[in-house]
Amino acid sequence: MGESPLTRERSSYVLLSCMVMIIVAAAAGLVFNLLTPQGIGWLPSHMAEPQWQAVDLVQAVELQKEGAVLVDARDPGDYKSERAAGAVNLYPEEIKLLWPLLEPTLREAPAVVVYGRYLSRWPAAQVAQFLRGQGLPKVYVMQGGLTDWKRAGLPVKSPRRNRP
Amino acid sequence: MRSLGELISLACRLFLAGLFLWAAHDKVWDSATFAAAVARYDLIPLGLVNPGSVLLAWLELVVGLCLLVGLATRAAALWAALLLAFFTGLMIYAGFTGAGFDCGCFPGQGDHPAGFQAALRDALMGLPALWLLVLPGRWLSLGRRRERPERLTLSV
Repeated sequence: MGESPLTRERSSYVLLSCMVMIIVAAAAGLVFNLLTPQGIGWLPSHMAEPQWQAVDLVQAVELQKEGAVLVDARDPGDYKSERAAGAVNLYPEEIKLLWPLLEPTLREAPAVVVYGRYLSRWPAAQVAQFLRGQGLPKVYVMQGGLTDWKRAGLPVKSPRRNRP
Repeated sequence: MRSLGELISLACRLFLAGLFLWAAHDKVWDSATFAAAVARYDLIPLGLVNPGSVLLAWLELVVGLCLLVGLATRAAALWAALLLAFFTGLMIYAGFTGAGFDCGCFPGQGDHPAGFQAALRDALMGLPALWLLVLPGRWLSLGRRRERPERLTLSV
């Protein structure tokens, strides 16, 4: 049994329309981003012109042994559910609110190591850029996330569950 | 009976149009915040976060506009169904990974935590899109000449 010409024509029309929609969306998004002040570039500034240094897991552990403070840049919900032992939470959305509370601790530390997510490395880089902007001299972004941290057998802290 | 079908199609179309336009508004206008929301899922490489989030926001806007005016309704409904299926999967993933952040579905419109509840919501929102795929309707529709309201037949 073959498709009727009417069905084939309609299916082709629907697929063509779908393609037109995504092309229009891409073109409109590109033009809007180029012409308006709130447009974003290919990469955010904290990634395009980073003021921090990337370190791998081993280097991050060494730095922590030397007294560096670990900063968890993920959302508070993620932080509360599980985090690297000893990490403090400083996330982009409320960074200006939290900074005065954490400033004394972070300024006293010889270095700060920020971790966030693995693939996008977004919040960690954003927080690290902010900390460099506040004048902290040694700010590092850990490559890898909490999963790698755990896989390496490093200590994590998670809330205790009440036993029945 | 035919009028009832048309009425349901119109209701589905306007509901989805409102939903997509509402969701797209802040994503388009505040691209940086939406890009950060996309990045939180940690599903796509950094180089694709900004362009991907911009494309997604504008696709939602285009789909919403097409549904609003009834232009290429089936194609818009197909995009809506695909996007909502993708969002449902994303919310299930977030639920399993225990993500504790806002889903980013409606930036600037209050808290909408990612997780299973959001997955159920997105799945239910996909039902009107499925209806429109079968019966796009032609009331208050610009595309009525091309897209006749006959049921879509799938034959092999």
